[in-house]
Amino acid sequence: MPSAKTPARRVSTYKIVQTILGVVFAGYLLWRLYVVFLASPAYGADTWARFIISGLILGFVYALIAIGYTLVYGILRMINFAHGDIMMIGAFGGYFVFEALKSIPAPTLLNPKFSFSDAHPIIAVFLAFIVGSSIAALSGFFLERIAYRPLRGAPRLVPLISAIGASIFLENAGQLLFGAQRRDYSNPIILTRGDGWNLPIGGTTVILPYTGVLTVVISIILMVGLYLLVMRTRLGRSMRAVAENKQVAALMGIDVDGVISRTFIISGALAGAAGVMWGIHLGLVYYFVGFIPGIKAFTAAVLGGIGSVPGAMLGGLFLGLVESLGPAILGISFQLKDVIAFAILVLVLIFRPTGIVGEVLTEEKV
Amino acid sequence: MKKQFKISLNAGITFGIITIFLFLIGFTGTVADILATLFRNKTAAPFLGLTPQMLNMLIFLGLIGLAAGASGSRKEKSLTEDPWGKALLGGLISGLVHGLLVFGLVLLVGTLNQHGVQMNKYLAEVLPAAVKLFLLAQAPAAAGLFYLLFMLVTGFLGGLLSRGVGRGSWRMRSATAWKKSWNGFNELSVIKQARAKPATRYVLYGILFLLVFLVPLKAGQYWNYTIGTVGIYVLLGLGLNIVVGLAGLLDLGYVAFFAIGAYTMALLTAPQPHNLMWSFWIALPIGVILATMTGLLLGTPVLRMRGDYLAIVTLGFGEIIGILSKSDVLTPFTGGPKGVTAVGGPTLFGKPFNSGTDYVYLIFLAVLLVIFVTNRLQNSRVGRAWEAMREDETVSRAMGINTLTQKLLAFAIGAAFAGLGGAIFASRNQFTGPEDFNLMVSINVVAVVIVGGMGNIPGVIAGALVLKGLPEVLRQLQDYRVLVFGALLVVMMLWRPAGIIPSSRRKMESHKDSGVTESPKEGREG
Repeated sequence: MPSAKTPARRVSTYKIVQTILGVVFAGYLLWRLYVVFLASPAYGADTWARFIISGLILGFVYALIAIGYTLVYGILRMINFAHGDIMMIGAFGGYFVFEALKSIPAPTLLNPKFSFSDAHPIIAVFLAFIVGSSIAALSGFFLERIAYRPLRGAPRLVPLISAIGASIFLENAGQLLFGAQRRDYSNPIILTRGDGWNLPIGGTTVILPYTGVLTVVISIILMVGLYLLVMRTRLGRSMRAVAENKQVAALMGIDVDGVISRTFIISGALAGAAGVMWGIHLGLVYYFVGFIPGIKAFTAAVLGGIGSVPGAMLGGLFLGLVESLGPAILGISFQLKDVIAFAILVLVLIFRPTGIVGEVLTEEKV
Repeated sequence: MKKQFKISLNAGITFGIITIFLFLIGFTGTVADILATLFRNKTAAPFLGLTPQMLNMLIFLGLIGLAAGASGSRKEKSLTEDPWGKALLGGLISGLVHGLLVFGLVLLVGTLNQHGVQMNKYLAEVLPAAVKLFLLAQAPAAAGLFYLLFMLVTGFLGGLLSRGVGRGSWRMRSATAWKKSWNGFNELSVIKQARAKPATRYVLYGILFLLVFLVPLKAGQYWNYTIGTVGIYVLLGLGLNIVVGLAGLLDLGYVAFFAIGAYTMALLTAPQPHNLMWSFWIALPIGVILATMTGLLLGTPVLRMRGDYLAIVTLGFGEIIGILSKSDVLTPFTGGPKGVTAVGGPTLFGKPFNSGTDYVYLIFLAVLLVIFVTNRLQNSRVGRAWEAMREDETVSRAMGINTLTQKLLAFAIGAAFAGLGGAIFASRNQFTGPEDFNLMVSINVVAVVIVGGMGNIPGVIAGALVLKGLPEVLRQLQDYRVLVFGALLVVMMLWRPAGIIPSSRRKMESHKDSGVTESPKEGREG
């Protein structure tokens, strides 16, 4: 508003600083891009392809987790801090399925040493995803019932603290139950980590891992399914109505508590699937495995505008790419790739809190 | 009747899951050990073929069974009367369900154990010894049946007890009697007069002060170290109390300021890696100032965000500090993962601080200073502005409070206290490394503030004593500490959002709050 003079002024100094910082940052980024790609190319095309492949795969996992944050935030306006830990529970669910199936011998004529999961990888993977998702969905359901539902209508800080408490509880329960050591996911033999198709790029070959392709395919199927669920079904319609206005939705005969429960079940199932993917593709699960992906997926949800499902998908992909390309482009140590994700979170929240795609929330709801 | 059945069923399932969970995390065995040290009966002779450890565990499980029975015999809310028969039946049903679940667990675990499956490969705490203890050295079926019966009996007894003791008119009468006598005690003329005189308060403070002054002289090295740690957590808690409790900003990266204070102290006074070797008394204010500056720098952009974003950004900031201190990038500057050793200590009138007792006094002084500052701030214009802001930002802005400045002030003062705590911490330990500044520190401090009572100095001190002091006393429970923290945060939010010792203003507010949420119009609002 140009008419308001004095109150607007203080904001504008901040805006100026913000703009200057933004320009400086953008300039630095452009300069680094110039240096890396044109002036003194440090990596060949094959390395870039490797970065992009690993970034995209990670991005699809982040996107699935981010959808969970966004769904819950859209409906309850609260950050489900324990979402990452629900992913951890899902990862352990898949882990135990694989361990169990590995122990059943199913020798074939060609390979007498084969176990059940080696002989029937499709069934094994399917079972792992079903079990992982169901356990995670169940814990999402109970999480909402126990830690969030009684606090509806309380001041904002109260459910947030409860969520943090639940997250700490789940992490430590995981540590006490399964021990602190990292566990190796025993994939079916065909999905051995590191195996894949060889793509000829830049004179050498780049591996497109089978596990990664599986991750991307399942992630896309789940996302399309979710989109159809939200847009086409009765449940989706009630979810959108509750997100818009709880009271009016209740007056229209929608069971608000039931819809919220189902939202937690859906977001839990997606996080569980993401956990199984994490295990299959990256290989190690332990009690703290959900923490960093959780925060990164939250970053992704904010990037895409929290509350928006397509935004969360795009944000996840973007974050995955930035994380794997960032250290190379900015010329910093790969140890610091987590710092990049956090820095992006801080920068986005400072410069564009409504996200890159744009938040679907109106000012009044915030 | 159907509803009563549902209540009992739910209670049975809940307690069954709790019992199974406690067994799987190895808690039942730990409790048996603790009870053994309490009763000093570790070496006592076996009774009915049960070793003392088994008996101890059965005592603990019996208590859970009683609780299940009591919980299962609750009456339906719509009923006005609470007949005996129903309550006992409820206790019995819940005990039966509880027992069946434990029966299943015992059968499963026992059979697997008999077949030589190594369960502790997957479930870390289910060691063969723990299974043997849980099965009371019997065959799985026998032990399972025993537990079924045991839970049934304790469930019935729980229903009986709760009906007889808990919910009868007896309890109501005793509660009113208590209140009456307490009020009568308060109304006594002597007490009233003493309360009115400030002198009484000073005498009480004097006694407390003397006690606090004398204890470290007698306590010995280990206890002084523990007291010092609790004191540092009081410092941190009081700092975070300003940010969370008074200003209502949830800061999950509080450890960052602690780390900055500690690293400043370490780098300025240690021979490695910079060989500055400054005096403690110069490094201390510099550490505090640096922490404050960081608070201001971080706060300026971040405090414009809404509350839950703030929580996650500060969490990210704390993690960034952690990752940076561990990475190779800063190794030449901060010593990297190895940390900084031989951090300097203070000297006062030519006498170097070298015993734990000296540091305890230093920490006491710092705590006193911080309590004084907090107290003055809380009752000043600034403190009232913070509390107004915490309750409703829009309204407080309309009242003429510059919320951004006030938030920054709260953030900076909180950071300063953390810097002070960090500097003393580094100097006392004579060491600083990245491992001291993980996420757990932030979470501990948040738990201290929230469990103790947000916005309340005695509450924070009580919180630090309970959460940092008690685990030191009960060392066997160390492993379960953080788990309990998490559960406590949830439970506190559900039952006592204002903390163990709520501040008086806060108490009034939460009363008002509950009145608002009960009205159907506001209750649905998200």
